[in-house]
Amino acid sequence: MSKGSESAGSGARSQVETEIPRNWFIAKLDDLVVNWARRGSLWPMPFGTACCAIEMMAAAASKYDMARYGMERMGYTPRQADVMIVAGRVSYKMAPVMRRIWDQMPQPKWCISMGACASTGGVFDTYTLMQGIDTVVPVDVYVPGCPPRPEGLLYALLMIQEKIKGESVIDPRSREEDPERVGKPHLTPEEIEHIAEPFGNSTFQNRVSGLESSSPIHRPGDRKE
Amino acid sequence: MPPRTVSGKHMKVRADAVSERPDVADVVARFGDAIRSIETDAAGEPVVNVDPERSFEVLEYLRDSQGYDMLKDITGLDLGGGHPLQVVYQLWSTRDSAPLRLKAALPHDNPKLESAFGLWRASDWLEREAYDMYGVIFEGHPDLRRILMPENYEEGYPLRKDFPLRGRFSRAEQTRLALSREMEDLYSLDELAVSGRSGSRRAEPDEGLETQNMILNIGPQHPATHGVLRLVCELDGETIVKCTPHIGYLHTGFEKLSEYRTWNQVIPLTDRMDYLAPMLYNIGYALGVEELLGIEITPRCKVIRVICSELNRVLSHLIWVGTTAIDIGAMTPFLYTFEERERIYNLHEAYAGARMTTSVSRVGGMMADVPPGWLDSVRDFVETFPNTLDETERLLTQNAIWVGRTQGVGAIGAEDALNVGACGPNLRASGVAYDVRKDKPYLDYETYDFDVPIGDHGDVYDRYLVRMEEMRQSLRILEQALDRVPDGPINVDDPRVILPPKSQVMGSIDGMISHFKLVMEGLKVPAGEVWSSIESSKGELGFYLVADGGPKPVRCRFRGPSFMNMSTLPCLVEGELIADLIAVNASIDIVLGEIDR
Ligand code: SF4
Repeated sequence: MSKGSESAGSGARSQVETEIPRNWFIAKLDDLVVNWARRGSLWPMPFGTACCAIEMMAAAASKYDMARYGMERMGYTPRQADVMIVAGRVSYKMAPVMRRIWDQMPQPKWCISMGACASTGGVFDTYTLMQGIDTVVPVDVYVPGCPPRPEGLLYALLMIQEKIKGESVIDPRSREEDPERVGKPHLTPEEIEHIAEPFGNSTFQNRVSGLESSSPIHRPGDRKE
Repeated sequence: MPPRTVSGKHMKVRADAVSERPDVADVVARFGDAIRSIETDAAGEPVVNVDPERSFEVLEYLRDSQGYDMLKDITGLDLGGGHPLQVVYQLWSTRDSAPLRLKAALPHDNPKLESAFGLWRASDWLEREAYDMYGVIFEGHPDLRRILMPENYEEGYPLRKDFPLRGRFSRAEQTRLALSREMEDLYSLDELAVSGRSGSRRAEPDEGLETQNMILNIGPQHPATHGVLRLVCELDGETIVKCTPHIGYLHTGFEKLSEYRTWNQVIPLTDRMDYLAPMLYNIGYALGVEELLGIEITPRCKVIRVICSELNRVLSHLIWVGTTAIDIGAMTPFLYTFEERERIYNLHEAYAGARMTTSVSRVGGMMADVPPGWLDSVRDFVETFPNTLDETERLLTQNAIWVGRTQGVGAIGAEDALNVGACGPNLRASGVAYDVRKDKPYLDYETYDFDVPIGDHGDVYDRYLVRMEEMRQSLRILEQALDRVPDGPINVDDPRVILPPKSQVMGSIDGMISHFKLVMEGLKVPAGEVWSSIESSKGELGFYLVADGGPKPVRCRFRGPSFMNMSTLPCLVEGELIADLIAVNASIDIVLGEIDR
């Protein structure tokens, strides 16, 4: 009896033991292939509003040529895109449009906030401008600058690629989406108040990105724990 | 077929005493007690205060009998401190090359005034903006809705002095309100149907078959709208019956923010408005403040400013050619022109340190003298750039597709163009030779030899030709300017506006005090007002600046040419095919940062 149960237990264990490596292997292989494919063919959805959009155009034009990294297709349709590049100021009048475009993009998707205005409101702490698009959509990479140089945007795209490398297809957390939150602010009212304080969003971004102080220079590789 | 080129009149604004101006004297004699007072502004231009009840009559008389055929601006003004609201009209007579400003004072609660829509269609959007920002009700306006703020905006009228800079509601509430709007409502047929003045016209029922016009929404996020512009079109088949632009998606509150910044701190805001030609905005603003201060800049500064202005005119026209060609289906010019733009960006970077947000001017001069060798780089650009220009022209000017898509499309005649408020190359393409550089010269433009190209047909093709020719004229100006750059200081020697040199700050108590005062308090501008304008790449760029003697502006009104040109779009496309909408919209050269401000 005890022996049988023992053998059953050990059988289950050995099964698990053999299963895990194989699943693990397949998952890893999946990650490798899928992430490689995703990484190499990011399709940006350029959500350009103001001055930063001109630098985004420059990044796509002859000299900087974003297509080198696989971002060949600047699609203006959110249904066929996976990186939203928000370049420029976003007003409250524009906010629902941006949120809708984000909701229309299929998973997996990433978001780049290009420039001071999109990230924090920039110098425009006024009645009409959102103090950072991260109040409305989740942001993966912030690009500082007013406007960032095209190299800055390219670097952000490389960081997205870096981020994809570390993702796992079977990890549900990174891809979960709550239908309840569609069309709603990304943050709670308290958090919005907090980050809308003067300088609020820049300190907030430092905190969430694990950079309490901004003194050391962190590269994408440095940031992996 | 190159466009005809003409030279404008070299006429200086008459500086004689305002009361001697026959038109002003005539208006006073005619309207008597409707004219409350006559003042002179900082530039010596007349300002006529009229009774709001009779403002329409006065405007009508000025337009019909005194030749003031151009309405440049309508805006509000709130001085705060219990002063009444004011509505400011800026007029221009193409006949006499003379400006005139009209003001009507209104109470804060229930300010009402007769609309000038019957006189100038250009007043359409200007009045809507004054309503949006100040709550002035223009009676008789066919479609008085908010224009920049969302239509259901509840917080009040942003530019009034009692409105806080960051809005009345908390940020969380503002975000919640913005997102709580039902998107489906925004695009419902009712919402789209209200948005027009001419009234929705149903197609005739044809042999019992009920037909209905189709509503097509373009934008606000659409590649062909050159930014965040939303166009709602009513289509009968493929013909546009009515087109209504919705703007304000990029409204940033520049004018409000300027009232909270010192005079020099406004300069970084200006290049974020027209980011396609940032230096033009920097320089235009600085010129306005200098006019208010009554200071004359140094000869070297004038020439450097001309060089910067013309470089930026080329910069802006280049992006126009590139993007318009893309819209019409030609990719190559985009790649060519962006290559050249990068070269101008390099020049920007060498001078200002930034590619786009240059903030290059200061009140009384420039941020610094140009770096050594910079002028040679500009000369190098001037010499080699015509090759690209020729190549681009070879790609487009005789190109059958280009000609077919642009000739006879979106045409407008000279008189209509003036009336609807077109400006800049668009106005000149229609045959009106109005160029601020000729008609009201600044920066000694009258001493440069250049032509103002004008077209005959006012269609997309003529707008293209005019811009191409303007680039060549800019190169001519650049050549002359490069030949005459004088030596000497770049900044005025005036401790009221320019920081003293470091040796004085460290070495003398006077220098230290004036340095301290300028840094801590900002420069003080004497009370007064001015409406000064320059010819930007897109048209006449006006600055209406009001000072009260303090370190901050009371009112900074930026009258952007794109705003005026955008408001002409419905007149250009109604009756055209939907496919041509893209070409026409591209051809008027808009920059949304300036339209929405
Ligand atoms: S960050 Fe600077 S360049 Fe970018 S949109 Fe804002 S103001 Fe313009």
